[in-house]
Amino acid sequence: MATATTVSRALPSLPSDWSAEKDFKPVGSITASTQRTIEPVGPHFLAHARRARHKRTFSEDDR
Amino acid sequence: MAEKGAGVAPGDRCAIGISFGNSYSSIACTIDDSPVVIANEDGDRQIPTLLSYVDGEEYTGNQAKALLVRNPKNTVVAFKDFLGQDFKSIDPTHCHAASHPEDKNGSICFTIQDKPEGEASTVTVSEISTRYLRRLVQSASDYIGKTVTSAVVAVPTNFGEKQREALIKAAQEADLEVLQLINEPIASVLAYDARPEATLEDKIIVVADLGGTRSDVAVVASRGGLYTLLATAHDYEYAGAQLDKVLMDHFAKEFMKKNANVDPRENARSLAKLKAESEATKKALSIGTNANFSVESLAEGIDFQMTINRLRYETIARKVFEGFNRLVEGVIKKARLDVLDIDEVILSGGTSHTPRIASNLRSIFPATTTVLAPSTSPSALNPSELQARGAALQASLIQEYESEDIDQSTHPAVTTVKHISNAIGVLTLSEDGETFTPVIAPETAVPARRTIHVDAPKEGGTGAQAQGERVEGG
Ligand SMILES: Nc1ncnc2c1ncn2[C@@H]1O[C@H](COP(=O)(O)OP(=O)(O)OP(=O)(O)O)[C@@H](O)[C@H]1O
Ligand SMILES: [Mg+2]
Repeated sequence: MATATTVSRALPSLPSDWSAEKDFKPVGSITASTQRTIEPVGPHFLAHARRARHKRTFSEDDR
Repeated sequence: MAEKGAGVAPGDRCAIGISFGNSYSSIACTIDDSPVVIANEDGDRQIPTLLSYVDGEEYTGNQAKALLVRNPKNTVVAFKDFLGQDFKSIDPTHCHAASHPEDKNGSICFTIQDKPEGEASTVTVSEISTRYLRRLVQSASDYIGKTVTSAVVAVPTNFGEKQREALIKAAQEADLEVLQLINEPIASVLAYDARPEATLEDKIIVVADLGGTRSDVAVVASRGGLYTLLATAHDYEYAGAQLDKVLMDHFAKEFMKKNANVDPRENARSLAKLKAESEATKKALSIGTNANFSVESLAEGIDFQMTINRLRYETIARKVFEGFNRLVEGVIKKARLDVLDIDEVILSGGTSHTPRIASNLRSIFPATTTVLAPSTSPSALNPSELQARGAALQASLIQEYESEDIDQSTHPAVTTVKHISNAIGVLTLSEDGETFTPVIAPETAVPARRTIHVDAPKEGGTGAQAQGERVEGG
């Protein structure tokens, strides 16, 4: 997705002693995911299929 | 969904999209990437799914439909869902006033006089479908000026593996390579998403496909242009034919007020006339607030003519209309969602032209939900054309691929992926403290990538983001 949403609210400050890499602080964990079938239809699916079949990430696919 | 094609080389293909219904079918191609629904030689874009034989001559579409009055036995209707089915599992109701399906050595057949003379032939539903598809392909080839070789065909979401195989085989027999079978509601979503003015947004869509013999509803998660079916429902009781029936009963009763003891429903020919004109009146009521019902020699040589206004129609059809609302509410519940979660409702299928059906559905959703039907939204596409358009768009996307490539891309190894159950987002500051701001919506296939711009913290640090494993950041 090329377009980015703009949120007008600010991010909270990190604690002053925060020193982890990339200033990234997880505040929760990802809950379970489910296996579902994406419909093999449309231009975005074709891009997905290309990434999946060539085992590429989004960034690699961009190049 | 691996479609074994007749093996046309990509360079030699001329591909179209087909919507093959029990009542009507449509064909479409793309011109400069935009879909065009093709009119057949009679000028029809909704082509009745019928074949009729008179003196060995084959008629299709509206010409065949007109023959239901005087040639019902040699006219085949509502056969499409019979493809790939056992005789025991089919409902022949809609064939009542036409050629009846029969069981011949386990396959479904029709006995019709399709030659100028000699004995009647027993023709399998597969052969009937082949003949009908051949006519569709011929109309498309005539329009395009090139022989159509291949197609993407839209099918209901509950079209089983055997039905798919039977459809592909019937197409092959008509020299038509099936590039891919796609789900009807997804074809409709694609038709809308491919419009030049469309923006790519994550949304939950309900597609209500209200047809002639069946109604199918689906809840679809659209995430970054990837579509996932969350729930589906099918109903064979409330559909367009039921609305025809309501009007048939109404006009028959009115006729009998003037002609006691003559029930036009008791004579096959009168019944056929009654049905044809009732359907035409129903369609006229989608446009005008009044419509005329007029049949020459409806029964026992008596002509019959009367008008009906839309309000009266809506009153007598109320039960059927309520059935559509229940079906839609039911499938949303099945997806464990609420009407508040639905961003968009796409009305598809011929019956969706009915203004009252659209406004009834409009009333169960909040004002923020977009309801795409001709009477509720000026930007709505023709609901009768959505599936053919979507199928044509998909055909243009994949026609340059080798069949093997298409097979591999539609393989479960590629299509089955993990979807997150809950939203992933960041904490942001609002008046009431820290608020969760979703970045990736639930039911998004992963890996996924989304970008949002958030203001930097007021003082110190660069920011705090919560992000999931296996989910790429951006
Ligand atoms: N303008 C209209 N107003 C009301 N009903 C209409 C209109 N146009 C078509 N219909 C009805 O829509 C129904 C056909 O729907 P559709 O074209 O989606 O067919 P289909 O997919 O072949 O249906 P099915 O497979 O359920 O039999 C018919 O009952 C027809 O009378
Ligand atoms: Mg249909």
